[in-house]
Amino acid sequence: MLEVRDLRKEFKGVTAVDGVSFTVPAGGSLAVVGESGSGKTTCARIVTGLEKATSGTVTRHGSVQMVFQDPYQSLDRRQTVRSCLAEVLAHHRRDRSRIGELLDLVGLDRRLGDALPRHLSGGQRQRVAIARALAAEPRLLVLDEAVAALDVSIQAQILNLLVDARAATGVAYLFITHDLSVVRHVCEDVVVMSRGRVVESGPVERVLSRPEHEYTRRLVASVPRPGWVPRRAVSRD
Amino acid sequence: MTLLQLDRITVAINGQPVLRQVSLEVAAGEAVGLVGESGSGKSMTVKSVVRLLPPGATAGGTVRFDGADVGALSPAALRRMRSRDVAMVFQDPRAAVNPVRTVGDFLTEVLRDQGVSRAIATEKAVRSLSEVGVGDATRRLNQRPYELSGGLLQRVVIAAALLTGPRLILADEPTTALDVTTQEEVVAILDEQRRLRAAALMFITHDLELAAAVCDRIAVMYAGEIVEILPAARLHDDARHPYTRALLASRPGAVAPGERLVTVPGIPQSALTAPAGCVFADRCPHAEARCHDERPVFTGSAACHLLEVL
Repeated sequence: MLEVRDLRKEFKGVTAVDGVSFTVPAGGSLAVVGESGSGKTTCARIVTGLEKATSGTVTRHGSVQMVFQDPYQSLDRRQTVRSCLAEVLAHHRRDRSRIGELLDLVGLDRRLGDALPRHLSGGQRQRVAIARALAAEPRLLVLDEAVAALDVSIQAQILNLLVDARAATGVAYLFITHDLSVVRHVCEDVVVMSRGRVVESGPVERVLSRPEHEYTRRLVASVPRPGWVPRRAVSRD
Repeated sequence: MTLLQLDRITVAINGQPVLRQVSLEVAAGEAVGLVGESGSGKSMTVKSVVRLLPPGATAGGTVRFDGADVGALSPAALRRMRSRDVAMVFQDPRAAVNPVRTVGDFLTEVLRDQGVSRAIATEKAVRSLSEVGVGDATRRLNQRPYELSGGLLQRVVIAAALLTGPRLILADEPTTALDVTTQEEVVAILDEQRRLRAAALMFITHDLELAAAVCDRIAVMYAGEIVEILPAARLHDDARHPYTRALLASRPGAVAPGERLVTVPGIPQSALTAPAGCVFADRCPHAEARCHDERPVFTGSAACHLLEVL
């Protein structure tokens, strides 16, 4: 579905991504996790063509769409939900009649088709962003921290929606996230990035339960959970 | 001993309710976590402690700090309380510091204002920085905020908060903007230093597990009300309010991977849009007729009509 080989990206002499390779199988779900500055978002932007790699190859089999973190900024505030979806459907020569179907797929009341973004909650906007991405019937959806800004009860709704949409359409996911519990829930494989490099990769269950790399271990250990006691690491100034 | 007492606090902005009768006590040296989703009133509750309300706000109820009615304090006494007894740490450390002044200026400002000599203020600042794990403290004093990472700068803000020996620390999502490994470090430092000084803490977060790890008790807020208060250690076993249970069940870790998450239908209400009866009634899977009509009274640990049967 997607094959990334030896990706490298430099910004003014600073290497943001350094020799990154991964693949997403058709209908699969791969997470790229890491902290700020790890290069994960740069990878996503290269995959979707928003950024050009300095070297390396990206092979896409079929179309790719992207969902961003902030649903407040990614929608045109003067465009109704219906018109937003109609525009994408027309552009991809798909039937307008699919609007209702798409709204159903993302769990939006069809009556909200006439609403402007400002009339919608954050969770509803993110549903619109996902419906818009799915309107083009992509083979791969790149989700860049797509649930990070949502409240936990809304996040749960969107995660269920993403699980359902994959089952219904066979779309593959490339999940860019810092949240390991989200990874566990919706992804089969994971790539852990630190400082532009892949430090560990493999099936989610193996990597998160038995991390081999020191950095992955620290990442897993720092997630608050029942019985967790925060510890001061050796000072890293 | 009760250090802080909020008694039926209400806040409205331009006539629209934000907080509806919030009552909470914090003992000296105790850590209380305020959790809930956006718009639930967590930040407004904390701001009402030091009367930092936005323009157009009207407040009701009584805040008592160390026995004194905060609403009746003179401007000078309120300033003293804000600068000496109560320290604040917010989500974005860059918004808390003056970007063009040095770290040293920021740390010594309050002490200098209190008449402490420059040499002693600087010495205290260096010690405070070391205590929060900022190495090479003397050099840091001459740096400016843009030269420091977010995690480092938040530790500087915590160092400043501890400098005046506060009896209460108000921390509003202090680690939300930080990476998870940095969050662990900053939270561990805040927890350790607070305990060493026996300062009380009000810790706002949307992360239930984080709150449970550093707090003695958890207060769960929804639509401008506290719906449940319980010991942090009993969060998973003893949560009784349907909203608290829903929050716990909707986290991705709560079910096996791939299984459906338990979701709450609808969207979080605010104090303004909350229904007349129980604030959670329109989203609650157990709601009965009286839940929609009658507002439950907070009894014991939660505000819910159905505590006996759930």
